[in-house]
Amino acid sequence: MMIQLDTNIANFTNDKGEETPVQIEVKDVNIFYGSNHAVKDVNMPIHEKSITALIGPSGCGKSTFIRTINRMNDLIPIARCEGNILYRDNNILNPKIDVVQLRKEIGMVFQQPNPFPKSISENIQLPLKFAGMRNKKILKETTENCLKEVGLWDEVKDRLDHSATGLSGGQQQRLCIARALALKPSVILLDEPTSALDPVSTSKIEELLLRLKKDYTIVIVTHNMQQAARIADYTAFFYQGELVEFGLTRNLFTHPEKKSTADYISGRFG
Amino acid sequence: MSSKVTNRIALSLIVLCAIIMAGILAALLGYILVNGVTSISWHFLTSESDPFLAGGGIKDQLWNSFYVLIITMILTVPIGTSGGIYLAEYAKPGKLTSFIRSCVEVLASLPSIVVGMFGMLIFVNYFQFRFSVLSGALALTVFNLPVIVRVTEDGFHSLSSHQKEGGLALGLTHWHTIKTILLPAAFPSILTGIILSAGRVFGESAALLFTAGMSTPNLNFTNWNPASPTSPLNMFRSAETLSVHIWAVNTSGIIPDIQTVANGSAAVLVICVLLFNLLARGLGKVINNKLSGKS
Repeated sequence: MMIQLDTNIANFTNDKGEETPVQIEVKDVNIFYGSNHAVKDVNMPIHEKSITALIGPSGCGKSTFIRTINRMNDLIPIARCEGNILYRDNNILNPKIDVVQLRKEIGMVFQQPNPFPKSISENIQLPLKFAGMRNKKILKETTENCLKEVGLWDEVKDRLDHSATGLSGGQQQRLCIARALALKPSVILLDEPTSALDPVSTSKIEELLLRLKKDYTIVIVTHNMQQAARIADYTAFFYQGELVEFGLTRNLFTHPEKKSTADYISGRFG
Repeated sequence: MSSKVTNRIALSLIVLCAIIMAGILAALLGYILVNGVTSISWHFLTSESDPFLAGGGIKDQLWNSFYVLIITMILTVPIGTSGGIYLAEYAKPGKLTSFIRSCVEVLASLPSIVVGMFGMLIFVNYFQFRFSVLSGALALTVFNLPVIVRVTEDGFHSLSSHQKEGGLALGLTHWHTIKTILLPAAFPSILTGIILSAGRVFGESAALLFTAGMSTPNLNFTNWNPASPTSPLNMFRSAETLSVHIWAVNTSGIIPDIQTVANGSAAVLVICVLLFNLLARGLGKVINNKLSGKS
């Protein structure tokens, strides 16, 4: 069964329906875990101020790949990367780049909401304080703006000093997005941000991402093909470590070029 | 046998064992307290021990126990927590790390009398610290350091890796992530471990017999100059602690009220350790609430 495409699909790359410039260029990227070749020869563009979805069955390398874009794989001692990911004339994979600075510009939100066991406002202010912001008034304003941006302000404004771990899963995930926004990144990576959430929280996050793409470049890994169809401008289909197909979401879902893409999006495997 | 019956039997066995364990503990504690509490009086706690006559107290010994404990903690907590953080966060898995880890484990299971002998050879004789508060505290450091290292490492390992990823993904450095996110999150469990280990240090006797000594000079509790030989703060005087006192009185005491003094001292010791444990729980909870925001 093909997915219904006539409604709710974000087929336009920006408000005017034009393609946006490429912000990140991925060239010949290979990733190894020890001797396991997890991601093979990936080439793809990531367009500015649009949503790019990475889809594919479990273990296809999509999470490994997204974690490479802000070097989170550095945490895994046996992971090794080859190739180029060009961002603002720099190769992200260059061991000499300032990873801390990179992660300020390319933020990340994870599958499991991971608010720090601190108060709600402290969750947003902690990275700002580390970045050197001391002015209490600005910190407060930024907290409010970020919470408003993710639609959490009205729900939590009376309990900013309460523990963030007391929030619901969906609220926690929106707080994590707000926290990433506070640093004013240009790119936000989301690794299955809604797979631990209920449908209502999921649709809130999807609406939020559609709002955010006006200002941010968004890359999202998702298990859920309908989600990709609903929100993504571009979709990349990964299978067994390879990027099988990349294109505008509307083309990929209606006229897939490869057979395995067609099989996956029609639900024959995965 | 049906699985229901097996389930019943397993449950009854576990409950039985739990009851036996709790019963033994309660009996022991009750015995010590019932026998000892009658000997405890304000006079007992605040007068000096008498080498020959009845009616001596434990003032100096009680002070020595706390003093040695504090010095030990000042030495072990910074080194131990740093070591634990290193092992949990920075050490790369490999031969050296697992060697360090096994050293810590061996050190933690060293019999305390061995630690005492080692302390005597190294601190008392070789470094010429004599029988002193410092020698005792250093011996207890050897005894306590691995415990603190383990407690810290376990505290960090019990945190989910999501917290660390969250911090790093927000452009924090590794050290800042440890300092502002991981350490506060692990702090309650580390603190509990530290206070529990303090109870162990407080009650330790074998490691102190040959390091802190079995006598105390006449202390003048109005003289707080650490350099003065009669000052309670002097680190280079010998210092018989409460648990060593219990042992000394029982084995070689010539006072007529050995039983009373020993029982009273034991009760005081147990009460102190009990208080440490309660403190550990209470403080851990309070600090956790404080660091993590209102719930």
